Amino acid sequence: MEKKPVLSVKNLKTYFYTEDGIVKAVDGVDFDVYQGETLGIVGESGCGKSVTALSILRILDEKGRIVEGQVLLDGVDLTKIEEQDMRKIRGKDIAIIFQEPMVALNPVFTIGDQIMEAIMLHQKVDEKTARNMAVDLLRKVGIPEPEKRIDQYPHELSGGMRQRAMIAMALSCKPKVLIADEPTTALDVTIQAQIMELMKELQKEYGMAIMLITHDLGLIAENADRVVVMYAGKVVEYADVKTLFNDPKHPYTWGLLHAIPRLDIEQTRLYNIPGVVPDPLHFPPGCKFNPRCEFKEERCTREEPQLIEVGENHTVRCFFWQKVDEAKKRKVGEFV
Amino acid sequence: MLTYIVRRLLLLPLILFGLSLIVFGMIQSLGPDRLLAAYVNPGVLDKLTPAQLEKIKQKYGLGDPMMIRYLKWLKNTLQGDLGWSLVGKQPVRDAILSRLPWTAELALYSIIPVVFVGVWLGVIAAVNRDKFLDHFVRIFAVVGWSFPDFVFGLIVLMVFYSILGWFPPGNLSLWADQVIKSPEFRRFTSLVTIDALLNGRFDVFVDALRHLVAPILTLSWLWWAYLLRITRSSMLEVLTKEYIRTARAKGLSERVVINKHARRNAMIPVVTVGGGMVIQLFAGTVIVEMVFNRTGMGSFTATAATQLDYASIMASTLFYSLILVLGNLVIDILYAVVDPRVRLG
Repeated sequence: MEKKPVLSVKNLKTYFYTEDGIVKAVDGVDFDVYQGETLGIVGESGCGKSVTALSILRILDEKGRIVEGQVLLDGVDLTKIEEQDMRKIRGKDIAIIFQEPMVALNPVFTIGDQIMEAIMLHQKVDEKTARNMAVDLLRKVGIPEPEKRIDQYPHELSGGMRQRAMIAMALSCKPKVLIADEPTTALDVTIQAQIMELMKELQKEYGMAIMLITHDLGLIAENADRVVVMYAGKVVEYADVKTLFNDPKHPYTWGLLHAIPRLDIEQTRLYNIPGVVPDPLHFPPGCKFNPRCEFKEERCTREEPQLIEVGENHTVRCFFWQKVDEAKKRKVGEFV
Repeated sequence: MLTYIVRRLLLLPLILFGLSLIVFGMIQSLGPDRLLAAYVNPGVLDKLTPAQLEKIKQKYGLGDPMMIRYLKWLKNTLQGDLGWSLVGKQPVRDAILSRLPWTAELALYSIIPVVFVGVWLGVIAAVNRDKFLDHFVRIFAVVGWSFPDFVFGLIVLMVFYSILGWFPPGNLSLWADQVIKSPEFRRFTSLVTIDALLNGRFDVFVDALRHLVAPILTLSWLWWAYLLRITRSSMLEVLTKEYIRTARAKGLSERVVINKHARRNAMIPVVTVGGGMVIQLFAGTVIVEMVFNRTGMGSFTATAATQLDYASIMASTLFYSLILVLGNLVIDILYAVVDPRVRLG
């Protein structure tokens, strides 16, 4: 069954024009998000995952600019429409949840004010209706005593409660796409699970698509249907979640999975990918991963690989992806 | 909140007591001979014999130990007798009561341009960061902030009085002064501008205003430059906050993001410095009233200090510290009003 994507990002390039030079934070990213599905975007800090999210909503800071590419929401290119039309999409069709619920809510307004503001902006309802809707939303996201909580300020709520309030705000207009930018990173583990569970339930109920941005592979494994792995502003691998975890093709993905501690085998020392994320102002020539790559050859330092199809709905940006397969066989005791 | 206010107010007498002790000690440390200058014309002082000097010291109690003299002063003050003002040639209490409204009018009206222009320009500068408008406003602010108020006051006086003749110095024109002293003119608030309106004397109101414009301009110039800089930097900081991004991500227009979500947060530090600034405005009246030849608390204090009129000095010091303490209390309360995270207690 061929589904049509709700949100489709094509060759997106977002550059930041800083005093030190041009930072190519996002440099050619493609992916599709389907209704009712969760797309995981995974990568290290600074790989461009959050910038991708901000580019979709066009809320980059003044130095950042989308220089190329398309962001299609139901076929409409969001990079081309007027700012005032974009405003009608933000919060209504595409909503976002940020990483830090501590700082993502305005400290001087009650959570009720902030949720009602979103409701009244996009829906023609009076204040009383909006308030009732906000109370319902708070109840739905599992905040106890919503009639009381609605008049509280963010600092009066715990971190988990604040993130629930953020979710209530994001869902207030039943968006088609919900971008969750590291929604659980700032929360402790038990709360993380609750929040993810809540998001899954709400996804079922509303049928929205979720873009889950995280560096936590565990979160991806449990929640995503499809995964985009990003490195240095580019998609390096794209596959459905099972394929990615069982059969990674890119050396970077392989390294990431390899670095997860495992209970089923004995490990004296945890694997880590050598080196650090390259400085975005001075990317290496050729493949951007080459300085850290175990399978590097001379060609990698000269030429930039393109995304190639290696299986059904599985693409990878590497010349020598077969080498990863060989490595997997070789190190079978350590890594499956 | 109420207990907090009450507690702060209960501390007030203690603060005033300590302060009066310090100021009294400072004045008395000049020694009895220097203090004589307050009672005897310096020209005559040289011609007096030591015996005569001793007699005068005895008469005014200048020879007594400091503690005794302080307790005497304290006793009289607590009974409402602040002493005789040599500068005002009337009881200190009357001298202050007759001068206070003029200063209050000047300082209070100065707050309006300071706050509105300062905050407004600060927000504009922050929103247009590093653009022409921002640079222009900032240069304006730096120049304003670096100008000493007595120099600026003299320039204002020269331009608007000597050259243009628009805004004369002094408190009121002679005719208006006679009007407000006439029995038909009823004093409701003792602030001339308001009383003039309440009495339906629009001409007196205009005259009072003409005399206020130049000192207000001088007094506020420095401070709105200051407030502008505080507002700008506070606003810039707030604009980088994540909740601003949340507000934008909701689909709010930039105007609402700036004026509602950002400005309210940016006002938190502004209230703190802005409140301190209002207190400073009262102090600033000292110089401005001297420059513009206004009679008020500022010029009264300055004259009293130069003439060692210590009864007046003590009373004005207490007055200014009262303003300081009450002003700070108001700031704390305002602080809790703008920032829901602040709990007084």
